[in-house]
Amino acid sequence: MNASLSDESIRDEIYAIVAKQAKLDVASLRPDATLKDLGVASLEAIELIFDIEEHFDITFPDEGANFDTDTVQHLIDAVRGALQAKSGGSEATA
Amino acid sequence: MGAISPYGEGAALLWSGLRAGLSAIRPLRHARAEEVRVKVAAQVPDSFDPAARFDERILPQLDRTSQFALLAAREAVAQSGLDFASAGLGRRTAVVIGTGVGGENTQSEQARRLYGENATRLHPLTIVRVMPNAPASQISIALGAHGPTFGIVSACASSNHAIAQAAMLIRAGMADVAIAGGTEACITYGALRAWEAMRVLADDTCRPFSVNRRGLVLGEGAGVFVLEAMDHAYARGATPLAELAGLGMTADAGDIVAPDPAGGAAAMAQALADAGLVPEEIDYINAHGTGTPANDPTETMAIHRVFGPHARRLAVSSTKSMHGHALGASGALELVAVLGALAEGVVPPTANLDQPDPACDLDYVPNTARDMPVRAALSNSFAFGGLNAVLALKRA
Repeated sequence: MNASLSDESIRDEIYAIVAKQAKLDVASLRPDATLKDLGVASLEAIELIFDIEEHFDITFPDEGANFDTDTVQHLIDAVRGALQAKSGGSEATA
Repeated sequence: MGAISPYGEGAALLWSGLRAGLSAIRPLRHARAEEVRVKVAAQVPDSFDPAARFDERILPQLDRTSQFALLAAREAVAQSGLDFASAGLGRRTAVVIGTGVGGENTQSEQARRLYGENATRLHPLTIVRVMPNAPASQISIALGAHGPTFGIVSACASSNHAIAQAAMLIRAGMADVAIAGGTEACITYGALRAWEAMRVLADDTCRPFSVNRRGLVLGEGAGVFVLEAMDHAYARGATPLAELAGLGMTADAGDIVAPDPAGGAAAMAQALADAGLVPEEIDYINAHGTGTPANDPTETMAIHRVFGPHARRLAVSSTKSMHGHALGASGALELVAVLGALAEGVVPPTANLDQPDPACDLDYVPNTARDMPVRAALSNSFAFGGLNAVLALKRA
């Protein structure tokens, strides 16, 4: 069902989750901001990833665990990729 | 000393494996191994048969954590030649055993029954198996040790804190002998899932100080040592394995997980000062060396701060690259490595160090053990929670 989400709604939902974790106004978020820019420290970043995984019912791969340097756009792309994989759009799902 | 480890039963097996540079990290053995993302672990081999090692009247009381501790304690006490029944020695003997998570296997199994099967009746010995003081208590009962006895809980620094606490009891005159060490049996479905969620586990192997390191590999086991007041040991003609010369303990008081080089450095400096050693006298450091992105450069920085130019001359190795990270037992397994290095003049290597990291610029003894005299050594343990415990040892 999530696979039918539009790119805009994926982005908006991730913005909402990030804004909540970073305690920021959604309007202040930009896709090229890194989690570090947003003041999300490493342990909070792991929580944020968990919140996103729970929200979309997906699992991110373990590699590149350096979330500090990831941008919000990276998260959006990763969620989109995971949703596609889940809906059978890709063989890459583990 | 006594140990049970991924190399099997006995400290000698552990030391010979480490000295040979052999990794005990293997594909994960677990009923639900197919489901979890973690693929490797350093587990005590299946040849360990509790029924063959423990009286059937005692066995139902023992979580795997206590089984390991008892086995290691038996070995250490047998080597020491001490008889706790003679001349009131039992009343002057302390037992201090560290564990990170306590009776995890029992906790996990009983929780599965309760929540998974909706059982309403749990095993009646659940409480006495799970309690984190169970390993210390079981050892005190088995030996007849009536002195100060308790568990120590400081995650991955539990062993070193336990050994330090035991040494302080002897220094304070509250005991002549202390049985001390750490034990852990933490590889359950729940714990694997929890570690997985934290994203600090390597999916291939443990590569401390290597730029391609991907995290820690869980291990299990126990190491137990007999500490004895020096005059007490010499009066009975005992041959010490080494002198536990100094203790250093600090808290970062900062982040709950991210290590701070200042905290580790302060603990190392304290251990040196307590031992009356100058940095140039240390030939070897058994590093905490977890193989996580955060630990290894931070620990390297801390060693630079304490040792100055000597940092580049001493040997540093992480034996977790071979025996894995046994959490509350890790400092005890690593003390077996340090005692081996002091006694034999052989520094065990850091395995899997194939791509040096510019941020980790010390001599980590990559992949092959080195013959070199070791006069004195440090053993570092740094825990989640920002807790640091460092032991300084001198050759006997």
